[in-house]
Amino acid sequence: MDQRFEGQPKAEIRLEGRRLIRGEVTNDWGSQLIWEIRRNGEVAATAAARANESYEVTETAPGQYEVVLRMFNYEGYEKDKDGKYTKSKFVDVSNKLTWTV
Amino acid sequence: MFQIGNERVPVCHGVTRRSFLEAGSAGLAGLSLPSVLALEAAGAVDPAKAEIRNCITIFLVGSPGHLDTWDMKPEAPAEIRGKFKPIDTNVPGIQICEHFPLMARMMDKVALIRSLHHKTGATHENGQRWMMTGHDFNPDSVKPHCGSVISRVFGNRGTLPAAVVLPGKIGNTGAGPFHGQTAGYLGSAHEPFFLGSDPARSDFKVSDLSPPAGQTEFRLNARRDLLRQVDEVQRRTEANSSLGRDTAYARAFNLLTSAEAKQAFELGQESDKIRDRYGRNTLGQSCLMARRLVERGCRHVTVNHFETVFNISCWDMHADGGGLNNTYADYEQLLCPQFDWAFTALIEDLSQRGLLDNTVVCVLSEMGRTPNLNGRGGRDHHPNAWTNFMVGGPIRGGQVIGSTDKTGARPQNNPVEPPQILASIYHAMGIDLETTMLPGPGSRPIRLVEAEPISQLFS
Repeated sequence: MDQRFEGQPKAEIRLEGRRLIRGEVTNDWGSQLIWEIRRNGEVAATAAARANESYEVTETAPGQYEVVLRMFNYEGYEKDKDGKYTKSKFVDVSNKLTWTV
Repeated sequence: MFQIGNERVPVCHGVTRRSFLEAGSAGLAGLSLPSVLALEAAGAVDPAKAEIRNCITIFLVGSPGHLDTWDMKPEAPAEIRGKFKPIDTNVPGIQICEHFPLMARMMDKVALIRSLHHKTGATHENGQRWMMTGHDFNPDSVKPHCGSVISRVFGNRGTLPAAVVLPGKIGNTGAGPFHGQTAGYLGSAHEPFFLGSDPARSDFKVSDLSPPAGQTEFRLNARRDLLRQVDEVQRRTEANSSLGRDTAYARAFNLLTSAEAKQAFELGQESDKIRDRYGRNTLGQSCLMARRLVERGCRHVTVNHFETVFNISCWDMHADGGGLNNTYADYEQLLCPQFDWAFTALIEDLSQRGLLDNTVVCVLSEMGRTPNLNGRGGRDHHPNAWTNFMVGGPIRGGQVIGSTDKTGARPQNNPVEPPQILASIYHAMGIDLETTMLPGPGSRPIRLVEAEPISQLFS
């Protein structure tokens, strides 16, 4: 039997100063959990979020920032010739926070 | 009394036909009555004195690359050290892969064995049989799974089987049907109970615990009575005892009709918080079920992390571009996080419930993976060296046993072979390997495994 993830993980995130803090993830699939920080719509940084419930934002370049917690959703092992998953992908699992530098 | 498995063999009075045959065979094989009495005097026969522990084995089917997980070589060339980086753990001097950050925080509980190896062919099946039975494969005498041995030695507690395999038995891993997960010559009475369904799914149910459609418990009991009568006739007409089959039938009916057994498999009785902590995936929920089972009397639970290596994301990292196309991406995004989350949840949970002192948790695999990355960035089979580990019970954590050479190709210090792991498990569970025997050919008493426990694990 191949594993199948059901339901939708959810978590609340908040920003305290430059510190991002996440709550517990409900319906946690247990796969990789990351902070994804985007600047002007482009991914500026990612950071592991599984072991620590907070992350210090270090990005200082001017722009419109958005951050969200993402988790890997396994839907199959298949990959293209470049090694990228064709079915499985990261999905947003939290609210989004935005700020401007 | 002498003890062959969990069956006490009287030597003075009350001799049963079966035990007489077994004791007689023991004598024929050179274990004379004085020898038996000597073993008795040595404490072989008093289970009340044994400190019996449980065992949960997480079996990583496909086999993680040791250089990418628990035996990293950061000083080696890039084509050997691979993509991942090591991180410190809470034990100074011990590092593991960056994708096990939670395990790194509990390394003081873990005993890593970095010098495992076997000398048979590099198939998954060879490794499975070695690590699940402690024996090389012999199709003429299929050796029993560790859980079946435990079933034979300790017997059942309550209505649950002594040995359970979650979520199901290993299927096709490429080279034949023998995976070392059956009772083998011990017979069906000691066959592990295979769950056969995914406890992470919302429609999960244990098919063997649900009466077939249209069957009430009354009808099941009627069938059991009928079966008993038929069996009694057979027993009177056949020379051989049908004890093994009797026990298997009884176990099946007990499972079908026992509320206690059903509850052990009912994960809905756990809080959402604890289910989330284990991970809402097959491995995580199987580990949670394993805890529920040992808590309720099951002696030995095997959790197979995957049942095949084909067309799924698993540890078998060949990166072949086809049906074995597991890569670093699978390790980083799915496998390592999933294992880290479930394994640490299990250890924490057992510890918080006071169960870790009497439960040995083993993480085993079939082999390691090649030191050199292949042309596609994967690693292939390598039984010459790998790392497994143990936690709990009398295991001393925070240590590394053995080491490999600078490329992880071969053991350098303190080489360990699979039978030593099985001997260590049995010893950790409270079995005296010098005095507890299994019935061998012709019911001749034989050792559970031809090896000694790894003493460093316990010192």
